[in-house]
Amino acid sequence: MNKRLKALSDMSLQGKISSIYIMTNLFVCLVNVLLILGINRMSGEMELVYRDNLNLNELTESLDAVQNSMTDYLNAKTSDSLEEYYRNSQDYMQLVENLDDEISGVSFDRMKRNIKHMSGQYLEIVDQTIDAKRGRNVEKYRARYESASQMYDYISTYIYSLNNQQFKNNSENYTELSQAFQLFETVGIAVIVAVIITNVCIITKLVGTIISPLKTLAKSADEVAKGNFEVEFLDVQTRDEIGVVGRAFNQMVISIREYIERIRHSMEVERVMKEKELLMEAHLKDAQLKYLQAQINPHFLFNTLNAGAQLAMLEGADRTYRYVQNMAEFFRYNVKKGEETVTVGEEIELVDNYIYILNVRFSGDIHYEKKIDKSLLQVEMPSMILQPVVENCVNHGIREMAGKGRIWLNVYGIDDTVCISVCDNGIGMGAEAIDKVLTGTYREEELAEGSNGIGMDNVIARLKLFTEYEDVMSIVSEGENQGTEVIIYLPMKEREEEDV
Amino acid sequence: MNNDIRKPKKYTFYLSITILLLSITTIMGVFAFTMYVERYTQKSDPNRYDKYYIMIAENSSASFWKSVYEGAYEEGIVQNSYVDLLNDTFGTDYSKEDMMRIAIASEVDGIIVAADESDEMTELINEAVSEEIPVVTLYGDNTQSNRCTFVGIGSYDLGREYGRQVLEIMRKKQLPRAQVQVTPLYDENGVRLMWTEEMIHYPVRVTVLLSTHTQDSGQNILCSGIQETIENEKQENVEIELSLVTIDDTNTFSVEESIRDIFMEKDIPDIIVCLNELNTTCVYQAVVDYNKVGQVNILGYYDSDTILKAIDRNVIYATAKIDAAQMGKYCVEALTEFHTFGNTSQYFIADIELINKDNIAEYLDGGAELE
Repeated sequence: MNKRLKALSDMSLQGKISSIYIMTNLFVCLVNVLLILGINRMSGEMELVYRDNLNLNELTESLDAVQNSMTDYLNAKTSDSLEEYYRNSQDYMQLVENLDDEISGVSFDRMKRNIKHMSGQYLEIVDQTIDAKRGRNVEKYRARYESASQMYDYISTYIYSLNNQQFKNNSENYTELSQAFQLFETVGIAVIVAVIITNVCIITKLVGTIISPLKTLAKSADEVAKGNFEVEFLDVQTRDEIGVVGRAFNQMVISIREYIERIRHSMEVERVMKEKELLMEAHLKDAQLKYLQAQINPHFLFNTLNAGAQLAMLEGADRTYRYVQNMAEFFRYNVKKGEETVTVGEEIELVDNYIYILNVRFSGDIHYEKKIDKSLLQVEMPSMILQPVVENCVNHGIREMAGKGRIWLNVYGIDDTVCISVCDNGIGMGAEAIDKVLTGTYREEELAEGSNGIGMDNVIARLKLFTEYEDVMSIVSEGENQGTEVIIYLPMKEREEEDV
Repeated sequence: MNNDIRKPKKYTFYLSITILLLSITTIMGVFAFTMYVERYTQKSDPNRYDKYYIMIAENSSASFWKSVYEGAYEEGIVQNSYVDLLNDTFGTDYSKEDMMRIAIASEVDGIIVAADESDEMTELINEAVSEEIPVVTLYGDNTQSNRCTFVGIGSYDLGREYGRQVLEIMRKKQLPRAQVQVTPLYDENGVRLMWTEEMIHYPVRVTVLLSTHTQDSGQNILCSGIQETIENEKQENVEIELSLVTIDDTNTFSVEESIRDIFMEKDIPDIIVCLNELNTTCVYQAVVDYNKVGQVNILGYYDSDTILKAIDRNVIYATAKIDAAQMGKYCVEALTEFHTFGNTSQYFIADIELINKDNIAEYLDGGAELE
């Protein structure tokens, strides 16, 4: 059953509809053939009804012929009439032979039997009569003729009675048969009407079944056209044309949903990026504000320092010139790079300037060593990151060490990450302090002397925004007076050429 | 959506069922119709029988003879023989002799004939026997012939019964009637002298209706039975006039006319004894028509519905009920015996019962059932 259903569902639409029509038409045809066969049979029966009567009429005629030819012969004794007699009696004998000789419960059969026997005797007597006539035995042939005539009379009456009875019976049968025929006709018409109605129902149902996926498809397509992509998938069972269209439709809906999802995702990313940018800007603004609070107008200071440097150069004071020049560079960086991403190299340069300035101020107290992987100098990072870290080292680590303080700056790459390590040999930090710094809960009460105003929390926040890492910085301290190492992690993302 | 998967299966199921039912209906219809048609072609009993007997009755329309034939037919079926009533076969009315000739020419296995003592019948019976067709005479015998058996009634017993009934009627109706006759007595001069009163006893007139064939032995025996009974058992000094009237039954409607003739005469009999069903019915009708109910007492024969009703209405005094079916049965038994053993008993006597007002009720019910 299932296989057949499957085979049916695999058929093409044309095949399905055609097979339904062929099937129903065949059914109507079959019913019609049966009805026609029945009607044929009936009309055959109706014809048969009177066949027996015809046979009996033939028998009567033959009997008459025998009797007449015998009489003729007795009258005129011509050889023609004798010949006629022989032929007629032969014919009659043959007809009589065909009659049944059985004693059945049917009265007609018994009457036929009697007619047969009587006819036999009759023919015998007639034969004797003819013989007597030929032998000119007048007495005998007269007597025989008498009895033959009597017998003829009996047989005629017998056949007549049989014929009559049969006719009566057949007429009754005929009436009943024709009534039955009418009934059959009515029933036949009823059956055909029933079959046609059933067929119409079957065709409607089956075509409906075939078409219903198409309807569902149309409904779903309409939904999609209205913009509702959350339609249910079509249940495609068949492999016909409708099945193909249905599957294609399903695939289309899936694709559309995927595209929509992708667009939504990219919009989401864009939004996050924009948010980040805004946040970064806010932090930078904050940093700059702090900076401006702490510093006099950097442009003015920078110009002033430049003027000082030129003055020193004119007077030939080289060291002064260099110092002032460094100062000018330091402030210029703040002015120029305040709001951009910079390279690692530029940050390191700023640190160099800062250390130089401090060393001039504190007369070479700080021992500063660099170990830099030159290939990483072009890696991008936010500005004003390293300087605040180094400043922290100076302020909290080695300020009190009076000439013994050391700072190591290391830049190296691990896989895709650039590590910038700022290490000092100062007083070190407790674990609690490290934790506070990293989580951003530690805030200095007041800005230390010489600070440019940017705190560690600001640095960490900006690094997080820039790198999108969670761990952007780690602080390692082995204990008191063991020094501190601050490591910054950056993604290895080099500045593009055109920005240079 | 899941429904969609099931729906086609459901449809297929209903579809198959519908188509199957319709097909079955159609095929059944055609089959039933074929059977219906078939029934016409093979309408009657298609059985085959060993022997074929022909019965020639006196009169096929009388219920007596119908009962006889039915009895014979039923026994025939039991013996695997078929009995045909030849009287019914033809459209024309053949005489018993004609029918005998037809039966002989038909070379049947046995003839049951309501014979009489005529010479022609004797001849025909002998001819049949010479053709090796056994003949059973029924109801009326032909003693001269070579018939193998006679099946009839005990005529002498029936005659005695009728005689007893005649006496009973006389007793109950106070017959003979006596009448005082007053006659004037005159002298020579013609002067009336006195009235004489004389008691005149009319004789009781009993008429027995006979069939034309006076040589019918059964009939004669019956008459003598009546006569002897009356003579032996009647009271002294009662005069009974027994007359035998021959009813002309040679022609088709002559019986009825002959019977009417009796009533046209001056002296109508007090008691009429009928010896067959037709006579009984005719006498009964005549008594009613001539308004002689109560005056003419009828002793009937056989128990047809008409006769039973007449008894119920007190028109017919009594009737002899003959077991007709038993007679028919005996005929076939005799023929079967003859075919089996080559011989059979010479006489079979059927039972007789008397029906009168006293026991009519049970027969009336039975009669209704018979119909």
